[in-house]
Amino acid sequence: MNDMTVPAQASSTGAPLNLSRRGFLGASLGALVLGVALPARQARAQQADAPAIKPGTRVNAFLEIRPDGTVLFRSPFMEGGQGIFTALAQIVGEELDVEPTQFVMEPAPPGPDYLLIGGMRFTGGSMSVRLSYDAMRRLGAAARQMLLQAAAVQLGVPLAELTTEPGRVVHAASGRSLAYGDLAGAAAALPVPENVTLRERADFRWIGKPFARLDIHAKSTGKARYAIDQTVDDMLYGAVQHARRLGMEPGDISNEAQVRAMPGVHSVHRLPGAVAVLANSWWRARRAAEALEVNWTEPASGTANAMPADFSTEGHLAKLKAMPGAGLDFETEGDAAAALAGATQKVEAVYDAPYLAHGQLEPSSALARFNADGTLELWLPNQAPEMFQADAAKVAGLSPDKVILHSQLLGGFFGRHFLYTTANAYPQAILLAKASGRPVKLLWSREEEFLRDALRPMAVARFRAGLDANGLPVAYEAVAVGEGPAGRWFGRKTDKVDSSSVEGIAGKPYAIPNRRIAQIHVDDPMIIGFWRSVGHSMNDFFSETFFDEMADAGKQDPYALRLRLLADKPRHKALLEAVADLSGGWKRGPFTAQDGTRRARGVAMASPFGSEVATIAEVSLRDGEVVVHDVWVAIDPGSIVNPAIINAQVNSAVALGLSSALFEEAVYAEGVPRARNYDGYPILPPDRMPKVHVRIVESGAPMGGIGEPGVPGVPPAVVNAASVLTGKRIRSLPLSKQRLSAGEG
Amino acid sequence: MELTINGQTHQVDIEPDTPLLWVLRDELGMTGTKYGCGLAQCGACTVLVHGQATRSCVTPVETVAGAKIMTIEAIETDPVGQKVVEAWVAQQVPQCGYCQSGQVMAATALLKQSARPTDEEIAGAMVNLCRCGTYNAIAAAVREAAQA
Amino acid sequence: MKKLAAFVVLAVLAVGAGYWFATRIPASPFDSVGSATAPLPVERGEYAARLADCVACHSTEGGKAFTGGLAMGTPLGTIFSTNITPDRETGIGGYTLAQFDNAVRRGVAPDGRRLYPAMPHPSYAKMSDDDVRALYDYFLHHVPAVRQENRPTTIAWPLNMRWPLAFWNLAFADAGSYRPAPAHDEIWNRGAYLVQGPGHCGSCHTPRGLALQEVALDERDPRFLSGALLDGWYAPSLRNDHNTGLGRWSEEDVATFLKDGRNQHGVVFGSMMEAFNNSTQFMTDGDLAAIARYLKSLPGDAARDGAPWSYQAAAAPAPAGPMASGARIYAARCGFCHGSDGRGRNEWISPLAGASSVLALENASVINITLNGSGRVVAAGVPDAYRMPALRDQLSDGEIADVLTFIRGSWGNRAASVTAEEVRTLRELTNAASSDPIVLQMR
Repeated sequence: MNDMTVPAQASSTGAPLNLSRRGFLGASLGALVLGVALPARQARAQQADAPAIKPGTRVNAFLEIRPDGTVLFRSPFMEGGQGIFTALAQIVGEELDVEPTQFVMEPAPPGPDYLLIGGMRFTGGSMSVRLSYDAMRRLGAAARQMLLQAAAVQLGVPLAELTTEPGRVVHAASGRSLAYGDLAGAAAALPVPENVTLRERADFRWIGKPFARLDIHAKSTGKARYAIDQTVDDMLYGAVQHARRLGMEPGDISNEAQVRAMPGVHSVHRLPGAVAVLANSWWRARRAAEALEVNWTEPASGTANAMPADFSTEGHLAKLKAMPGAGLDFETEGDAAAALAGATQKVEAVYDAPYLAHGQLEPSSALARFNADGTLELWLPNQAPEMFQADAAKVAGLSPDKVILHSQLLGGFFGRHFLYTTANAYPQAILLAKASGRPVKLLWSREEEFLRDALRPMAVARFRAGLDANGLPVAYEAVAVGEGPAGRWFGRKTDKVDSSSVEGIAGKPYAIPNRRIAQIHVDDPMIIGFWRSVGHSMNDFFSETFFDEMADAGKQDPYALRLRLLADKPRHKALLEAVADLSGGWKRGPFTAQDGTRRARGVAMASPFGSEVATIAEVSLRDGEVVVHDVWVAIDPGSIVNPAIINAQVNSAVALGLSSALFEEAVYAEGVPRARNYDGYPILPPDRMPKVHVRIVESGAPMGGIGEPGVPGVPPAVVNAASVLTGKRIRSLPLSKQRLSAGEG
Repeated sequence: MELTINGQTHQVDIEPDTPLLWVLRDELGMTGTKYGCGLAQCGACTVLVHGQATRSCVTPVETVAGAKIMTIEAIETDPVGQKVVEAWVAQQVPQCGYCQSGQVMAATALLKQSARPTDEEIAGAMVNLCRCGTYNAIAAAVREAAQA
Repeated sequence: MKKLAAFVVLAVLAVGAGYWFATRIPASPFDSVGSATAPLPVERGEYAARLADCVACHSTEGGKAFTGGLAMGTPLGTIFSTNITPDRETGIGGYTLAQFDNAVRRGVAPDGRRLYPAMPHPSYAKMSDDDVRALYDYFLHHVPAVRQENRPTTIAWPLNMRWPLAFWNLAFADAGSYRPAPAHDEIWNRGAYLVQGPGHCGSCHTPRGLALQEVALDERDPRFLSGALLDGWYAPSLRNDHNTGLGRWSEEDVATFLKDGRNQHGVVFGSMMEAFNNSTQFMTDGDLAAIARYLKSLPGDAARDGAPWSYQAAAAPAPAGPMASGARIYAARCGFCHGSDGRGRNEWISPLAGASSVLALENASVINITLNGSGRVVAAGVPDAYRMPALRDQLSDGEIADVLTFIRGSWGNRAASVTAEEVRTLRELTNAASSDPIVLQMR
């Protein structure tokens, strides 16, 4: 049902896209940015003979300047807390000459105008601003130009005599001015200018400034509405009970009649892999759904995505660790094997990281309504409207243009709202709306959410390093074992490494002359997904923690060794020095803090999503647990749009990275997850949040991402610090699995 | 049974063990109070009952019949709530925003009980989860609201 | 009851005893009765099976009804409950009524093998002939036959020999079915029968002796149903102890608890949740009233129970120490449900103030439920609205000790403090409860 091939309708050529997310994005970021300006593409097969649309150019598809001067902006990107609505208002407002506060943002519907990510659209990969920045500036400038043209006609003066001030076109010579709101109708009828002049960076009023977010008040007063909050007339509420293991199907329901008689219950339904109850409130639906006693049938052999009845995370970890082979090369330099053989000293280690749940606070939901005109309306959270639209159309048996998608604010992002087979609520909502003939709002309970979330994959990495007589690394070999989510959802070539499985082990800046980074692919039985910072979320933990092992083995200070190996990388070196400076100068410890606790610091670097990050963490031990007191982060995204949002995103990334380092682990036994709520899957609570100190470095490099890059440096910085205190290397997360005690040193 | 919410009385006809959360959301259409876990783990559903922070997902509705209930919908009509919201805006606290109704209600309850809370009191009262990790901003906003 | 421990002493008891005694087939009142009796209505035997809670051990979640296979850990190894469907090869399809009777009431299989007393035959011995006949009818005629081999125990020779159990039976099992006490009325006697016999309440609630026998099987001994530790839980006193028993409960409270799984004093949890889900809620109101009448007639023991509890508002805790730390943890983790006043929320969420499990000398239950949460209470087919979460992954041993010390020392509660070591011990022996409702199938 949920074929994950990118639907033809959403692709640029009409043929299914089959590209590795990183392969096509990471490898050629520059080309992609140009991609926005490439000749027009036909975005929809059924519009093949319509005029070609160049994404990001048709002003009227994005902007509606209203009589009161406010600007309705249809955002190509979804807001999930990362501040994209505000950033776009700053960027477009800057060129349009409208105060960002005047913007009213809403998610754009599916459509060819919004395919700004290489001819596709999704919000993710920390790509929104960096890949749309130029196009959005030009869009704002074009709209301003149209307003000027309309004003020139209306005022009967030459265009060259007109200027703008926020929200108005001004004719200085006559002292006359016209509000944008009064010009909008005439302006909208004009052709979009091809060539526009952009503001000089020095003249920016809003770009680069800590502009207040547009959604803060609504979100502080309960007025922000999410998918879970939507209602329509005559709506039924739906709740499901999923099969405990994917692939099982509902057979007899032994108490169906009794459940139908429960208060408020409208009907009982069988769905693929689930049973559902519709009722006149969600609570009643939920209680009834839980009460259903279902005889589940085991999957037939060969059933796609069936979870094996004997699957355990413990067993899968053992399997990954035991995988033989040298792996498929991804990144090589020099001759790692020879250099290893000739090294004075060898360092070897195997690292692992567990499955992780997204744990966003808003559980999955969707509202579906079939209309009399044959259309299907859907209200749901998503990161990729065209893909969801196409898939919903398949579920409903409609053509995509009959599916009206109302994308919603995301109640937590983190990669949860991609189109993952079986992890989305909307196919069930559609089927239930169809079956009942009524609009249905379906909500997964927290327990069902944990049962069907798409997890960050489990991973193992094997390292071998060779040091020379001076203790400096001359050979480095890393083999990642597992499966990456990009390959899973965008297609994987068996002779090529999925970059999402090695990013963070590969792409490191250190000058080690002989390197080999490889990967052994192992099919993951789990539904795996993107989790904030994707492969970096575990791989930088592996590589940056092993880095300290190399340093220790060679009797080098890990900070000094990093600096030394970055001697030829001025951007990285400056950033590393910046974070050391931010933390008051590098000191590894252990040392005694003012409160009497023994503390140590760890450092880590990461190069995720086009940005560079250096992180230092200070930790102590208490009752066998790691306490993180301070985290210092220096981040270089090249250039910036909103430093306040960057600060907030780094804080957020530190919290998530730390949560994964300290607590998080999705454990399965007999094919079933142990935890079905936050009690069994703890996430970072407020009393474990460290102080976070952020320094933004604008190196002028091409603009990088912001939402994810703060995550990967945190686990290795924390673990490196903890290892100083314990005197032992820690190679497995989360830290809560073990009781730690202070060691020598 | 009769419920007094934000100064208004409502008659509801519902099973007595129904969580207050779902009465608010589905019966009365007050969706500012959020469902996160249903298990008193996250606090997204926090409302005030007699001024006390109360997790509505684990509050059987019959146990608050007749009590004075306040939800996020009335936050700006409450002088303390107003201060809290202003501090939330000043500190730019929310990110995805989903947990913030509960956070604002918890902060309001704290400041109603202790106008000048110590850092320990803040830590003791602000225990709701935030997956976006806005904890430092929350603590700063509570301190700011206490100063206001 | 499920996972009875240590049968090692039994071997000692057997020394010198005669082989004949240890393997003989006891007499049954049904010896002359053939198996071809007319079938009874299904409801009759099903009710008897509910009273005796056969399903608790002989069915497993997801397994077919009464095919056995439930693992019960003992210090000697694991034993597995058996297939009691009427399959002739692997089940009890070949049993005569007399053979069935010997297994249920005397712990003797048709071949003379003695059953482990994980099968509560010392209690079932008191069942009436009528109930045994009804059970036989139910299992032979109304339960679907399922071919499923029994799993052998993992207990190694020589401790896997069964004949010494005959001497255990001789020493500890009453002979004969329940005989009404003329001094009491019919209701009381019905209650006594249900509690001592099919209900086998003493299996959990009566302390056990050195040979793991229940130290008393009826009300003549004040230790009967006076509370016992089993499987990481403390089954509290069912006697009229004011603090730690049923002293503050009315007969109606007792009946309601067994019917609904909850009342204003508390909610079933741990092993009692299972007994409720599978057994007590299916009893008739009359039988529940009888049980209540009987239990409320058992006197408490003020010497053991201590000064009577009464509610006291919490004093401001000391600024430091376990009570202060416990108070903070309580406010953040417990108070949202159980109330800052410890009084719970009507019958929906248990009070901690004055709760017998909180006041009990033994702290296993409070530690266990805090670590592992509660399984789902399924009443009349509907899973509970509120469940206790497992806190094992959120609170350290020390934190759990502190918060339980606070709970056991607040609102008039005067139970001893809890140590981190006690928490750690139970943490290692137990797992979090499932959040899935578990309903064992009877047919």
